[in-house]
Amino acid sequence: MNSSQRRVAITGLGLVTPVGNDVPTTWAALVAGRSGVAQIRTFDARGFPVRIGAEVKGFEAEALIPDRKLLKFATRSHRFALAAAEEALRDAGVRPCPATGARWGLSVGAGMMGVAFEELESVHACCGRTGEFQPDALVSPDFPADPVAFCRSQTNAGLALLARHFGIRGYATAVHTACASGGQALGTALKVMRRGVVDFMLAGGYDSMLNPVGLSAFCLLGALSTDNETPERASRPFDATRNGFVLGEGAGFLVLEDWAAARRRGARIYAELAGDGNSLSSYRITDSHPSGDGPIQAMQQALADAGLTPAQVDYVNAHGTSTPMNDRSECAALRAVFGPHLDRLVVSSTKSCTGHLIAAAGAVEAAVCALAIRDGIAPVNANHTQPDPDCNVPLVLGVSQRRPLRVVLSNSLGFGGSNSSLVFRHPEEVTCR
Amino acid sequence: MSGPGDIVITGCGAVCAAGRSVAEIWQAVQQGRTAVGDIASWDASRWPARRAAEVRGVDNRTLVADRKLHKLISRTDLFGLYAADQAIANSGLAAYRDALPPEQQARFNDRTGVFAGSGGGNYRSNYDFFPLLTAAGGDLQTFGRELSSHVNPMWLLQILPNNVVCHVGIRHNFKGTNACITNQAVGGLLAVAEAAAALRAGEADRAVAVGHDTPCEPETVLHYHRLGLMSADTVRPFDRDRDGTVFGEGAAAVVLETRGAAQARQARVLGEVLGAGCVTEAAGIVEVRPDGDGLSRATSLALAEAGLPPEAVGMVVAHGNGTRASDASEAAALHRVFGDALPPVTAFKWAFGHLIAASGVLDLVLVLAALQAGAVPGIASLRNPDPALAPLPVSVAPQRPRSRVALVLCRGFGAMNVAMMVRAGDTTPMG
Repeated sequence: MNSSQRRVAITGLGLVTPVGNDVPTTWAALVAGRSGVAQIRTFDARGFPVRIGAEVKGFEAEALIPDRKLLKFATRSHRFALAAAEEALRDAGVRPCPATGARWGLSVGAGMMGVAFEELESVHACCGRTGEFQPDALVSPDFPADPVAFCRSQTNAGLALLARHFGIRGYATAVHTACASGGQALGTALKVMRRGVVDFMLAGGYDSMLNPVGLSAFCLLGALSTDNETPERASRPFDATRNGFVLGEGAGFLVLEDWAAARRRGARIYAELAGDGNSLSSYRITDSHPSGDGPIQAMQQALADAGLTPAQVDYVNAHGTSTPMNDRSECAALRAVFGPHLDRLVVSSTKSCTGHLIAAAGAVEAAVCALAIRDGIAPVNANHTQPDPDCNVPLVLGVSQRRPLRVVLSNSLGFGGSNSSLVFRHPEEVTCR
Repeated sequence: MSGPGDIVITGCGAVCAAGRSVAEIWQAVQQGRTAVGDIASWDASRWPARRAAEVRGVDNRTLVADRKLHKLISRTDLFGLYAADQAIANSGLAAYRDALPPEQQARFNDRTGVFAGSGGGNYRSNYDFFPLLTAAGGDLQTFGRELSSHVNPMWLLQILPNNVVCHVGIRHNFKGTNACITNQAVGGLLAVAEAAAALRAGEADRAVAVGHDTPCEPETVLHYHRLGLMSADTVRPFDRDRDGTVFGEGAAAVVLETRGAAQARQARVLGEVLGAGCVTEAAGIVEVRPDGDGLSRATSLALAEAGLPPEAVGMVVAHGNGTRASDASEAAALHRVFGDALPPVTAFKWAFGHLIAASGVLDLVLVLAALQAGAVPGIASLRNPDPALAPLPVSVAPQRPRSRVALVLCRGFGAMNVAMMVRAGDTTPMG
């Protein structure tokens, strides 16, 4: 790492996930290996080839976000984002105010779906009953053109709502590289901090594709586990019998700030966000290269960016989606990067409990890495019973492992070939300059 | 200063209703020709808003020869790939790489980034579910059972916002740092800014940055109209009688390199990215502040990064989308930054409409041509400059830039504002 580079501290966390609607509940579930996967309940999925999902349960945004007008403009995933961001800011004990708002930035990995299924149904009822889209019906007086729904559907609507609600007036960006989005949002936040244009970043990801169209999209690709009768065991990354991922939803947010400033204000620092690595597989749109080419470069860059060597890593929170190809390729990449040291660290995929949160996954898992460092616990890779010789990596099996975690790495690998690796370091490992 | 601090532009590409290359589009702008007309992609004759600048007579095979891709990605992606291919060819980057010894090629590819500003979600692709919705007759169980008989199995891939990043990578084997920015209308210019920042930070030696979008579709036009953002006629930036924007479509792309990387291969330098600024006003999804707060702060950041005072700016390419509120607040921001010493101001959207996520990159490639020509093109649709925005040096007639440095402004939903400072290079981007 460049010695003049600004050090960045993680001082606040917020989570809304299929295993808990806040940080303590989510983390307790992950440590215990409790699954958030069940029969889909938010809509009637009984006719679909896949009827299970990792839904957020019993969630009410109003308790944390008492602004009903704002929430009218928020989709389900925006509500997750607002709640997780509020939890992260409370946790950090610092938040933007009119005097400081311009020195706060915002970087989000945003889900790709802006149109709710009910809205699509209403357009269909008016303009598509024949199966063909009839544009003229849109301008008939019967069409219920809803400007609020239009606003909600904009690609950066979530970003806009977060900025407005929290008064963030500095740098702001929304990124989408499919399943790598959350990781890249955190990586972008780190770079923006280092450029010095802000003093704080609120960074995270949010997504919900658990609706009839989103579920259809993944069913059609054959990417999902069809273990409809055993939902809790459906997501089993690195297991020889894995057969696809489980679609999840949720949000994760982190507060990042200047290390020295955080120390001065006596903030509790979970970890240093120490490095970011970012690569493109340029192989196929949905597959990664069997050799691990792509993720290899991302991990190597992230470690180099942090000024660390592979031998210093204690735990890897893997992308580990539980699809046959992803897990094999990621293991090949881990073997290539860590060599013989791989057998001295541990690996797990917390998607075994949460399912795959798509654009939110990397951000949620970044928060998980910060918690793992704080408590010295590598969370379990749940549901693993049958070893796969192609996934020969040292997994955290059975129960979560208590061990000092000084350096932790998290992978997020997306459809389209974008790969993101983040490196986190224990605060006591950081020597103040 | 040399080394990674200097970020140069070595390739440009563009496609929109005004032309299929930077040279064609520049010629249209200089001649005052607009591509705005009546919408033709659907029968809009009964619509309250029916104007746009659509790309006509360009089929998908013209954009991308590889027919396999046509079923896998959307037209916005084809525009993006077309502009990126043009910029890469214009820079000579791939040809240079292919002449390197094999062991150096791998390193070259790993050190080449890909950045895109993508329009992201649209309404149109969801209509692919209409036959299924009709067959299901409101019953979700039938919907689930009949799914695979009615919807293309590759549907999700077609709508991925990051298709251009993915396929620029695959087509050219570039494998470095990357981003796909889905920040509505500022996405494209922010992708250029992020690419420049990545090069400055040493994360890559060169990068392709693309903005692409196809916003002109019935539901979007309707909603823009209802919000009072759509013109009944055409974009008249800063005009007293301006009544909104019209959509364009297409893409624009640049190749950025560190000065060192460009010199190593003796590349032609078309321009230099001096600095950029990005801020939100936290005003909401479609609201803008009237006082120009965000745009003036973004400009100050861009000036600071460039290490230049406002007087160094030779011309401004304003966002100028022709809506009442945005143009007024943009003028307010320019007054804040420049006081009464405003450089010549122009805006290009009268020529090819508002390309949303592609808009800022298209303005960027055109300003390089303008600086090179020593001409600030006039705003051809301007009839009566709005006295409420005066003094604002806009005109139908061309003006002369004060220097070889330009400021490009770009705004979008989310009260987003991006400003970029560029300097003209030695050669034109049309070469």
